[in-house]
Amino acid sequence: MSFSEDHKFSGESIAHFARIIDSIHLGIWEYNTDTRQVKWSSGFYTALGYAPGEIECSYNYFFEHLLYYHDKPAFLKATYHPRHGGSPVAHIRLLTKQHGYQWFESTTQKHDTNDGPVIYGVLANINTLKINEIKAAENEFRCAEIGRIAKIGSWEIETATMKLVLTQEVYDIFELSSQVKMTIEEAISFFEPQFRPVMTNAIEQAVKFCKPYELEVLFRTARNNVIWVRAKGVPVLDSYGRCTTIRGVFQDIDSIKKKGITLQSSINLLDDQNKRLQNFAYIVSHNLRSHAGNLKFMVNLFEESNLDGDRTEVFSHIKTISESLSSTVGHLDEIVKIQSEISNERKVVSFDTIFNNVASALRTNIVSTGAKIHTDFSACPQIDYIPAYMESIFQNLLTNSLKYKHPDREPVINCSTQKAGNEVYLLFEDNGVGIDMPRYGDQLFGMYKTFHRNSDSKGIGLFITRNQVEALGGSIQVDSTVNVGTKFTVRLV
Amino acid sequence: MNTENKIVTAGIVDDDDIFTYGFKKSAAIKNLFNKVLNFGDGREAIEYLKDPRNTNHLPDVLFVDINMPVMNGWEFIDAFQKIQSQLGKNIPVYIISSSIDLEDVKRAKNNTLIVDYLLKPIDKLYLKDIYDSLQNQTYMRRYN
Repeated sequence: MSFSEDHKFSGESIAHFARIIDSIHLGIWEYNTDTRQVKWSSGFYTALGYAPGEIECSYNYFFEHLLYYHDKPAFLKATYHPRHGGSPVAHIRLLTKQHGYQWFESTTQKHDTNDGPVIYGVLANINTLKINEIKAAENEFRCAEIGRIAKIGSWEIETATMKLVLTQEVYDIFELSSQVKMTIEEAISFFEPQFRPVMTNAIEQAVKFCKPYELEVLFRTARNNVIWVRAKGVPVLDSYGRCTTIRGVFQDIDSIKKKGITLQSSINLLDDQNKRLQNFAYIVSHNLRSHAGNLKFMVNLFEESNLDGDRTEVFSHIKTISESLSSTVGHLDEIVKIQSEISNERKVVSFDTIFNNVASALRTNIVSTGAKIHTDFSACPQIDYIPAYMESIFQNLLTNSLKYKHPDREPVINCSTQKAGNEVYLLFEDNGVGIDMPRYGDQLFGMYKTFHRNSDSKGIGLFITRNQVEALGGSIQVDSTVNVGTKFTVRLV
Repeated sequence: MNTENKIVTAGIVDDDDIFTYGFKKSAAIKNLFNKVLNFGDGREAIEYLKDPRNTNHLPDVLFVDINMPVMNGWEFIDAFQKIQSQLGKNIPVYIISSSIDLEDVKRAKNNTLIVDYLLKPIDKLYLKDIYDSLQNQTYMRRYN
């Protein structure tokens, strides 16, 4: 038996179809819009889990009891769709006997018959498909959301064509508004210049040697923001072990990285301070010990010696030790003062005024050495600073220059300020004996480090100067040549 | 005191004048070291040791401070190591310092040239032991 002859179905084959259709749970209905008469196929009932006739076959029953209220507009819109152009499809939820609401695909078609306009419809259960579709859409949405929140996107390079495909999140990180096609070179040009060869090399190595990579690099977005990103690429191999695709992720790690960098610099600072403190403790203990030791030594000698002459000499040493002790304690006070004064209010101080004050206090030394002092603070005449610190800085630098003047010439001292952006520099230059930088450079600002056999070298001035400068966030640098002179460059702020 | 005692000359390398004075005075009182040479820093000491005119006046023992200007104790030890073979005399070296920095102590222990590390103030009994050991050519080590 054949189903059809001349594209027409015989009555017998139609009945056969009806059986097939009913058995695959495909529901068929018709509705005469004039008479409001409704017919449901037995498949219609079984699709909903009912036996034929178990529920009232009416438009009203369908609309009020079976169709999910939320899907009514969609159903109506599809059903009363204009006749022309294909059969409209709606996805609707219908209440089944046992499984609650399930998704159905409704296809309708209108026909004009002798009895009036009739709408035919087919209902097919698509619940599993629809649920999967919804789940897939949910997953995709969740993925995109995770990407958006984590600022992470993915990309792929097909090695045969070297075509680059990026997800929306990558474009977001690039700060590109539209998904423009980019070549690998164009994408790499977004990286900061020093990282471009690194990226090019990483991709090459991944293609050639199947080597994965993970890099943290600086990147300049389309809106000119420079950010830290993590670029990770993993080669995907075919069964011959060749790289067919590189798949990777691209993540904006700017805030993490910047926090890391800040943290590292805080650690370095702490480390530095810690070392200095420890050094300070050693030095203080060394000095106190040596005075205390000498004192004990002299007191013993005083007891042991019988000659008056000896005793007088020993006693004179005891006096010296007592003075040294109090000056060591004085230095301690000064160093502790740096820390306590740091909270003092900064004031606008005039370089000229402070320098002149210091110079007049040192007038005797200046006159006796015949020093020529030139100052030029025009580039930056004043600064927000702790006045006591500024005074101490000038005092120490000037005292040093006078103390370590070259024996063959009168001191010439140049002092000036400079401005570079927000930074203010103080330059202090002399033509004195100079310091052997390769030998002593690293100890120059250390406590009680002296490099000349000069009776009034205490090794405390520059130590204090550096501490004051650094306490206010600045830094101090020195250039010096033996027998030529010394130049201090102090970054004040 | 044994009259057969050898004449022992000590060299002290220290910029601390008071310590040097005390050392000399105390050596004189205790009859230790017949002669004490003092050098204000490492360089002075090296120059003296190197000078051929001093060949017959070299010290029998050296006490070296660490913290000194110009040439400190460690720099002196390095320089001394280089000229030692030319001196024609084995001179034991003791470090005497107020530094309790463990780095300094470790550094001294790891240097075979240094016999011992003495903390200031100096222990007179130990000084006597050193003096006695020099009489019979065995080097005193107490802290090692």
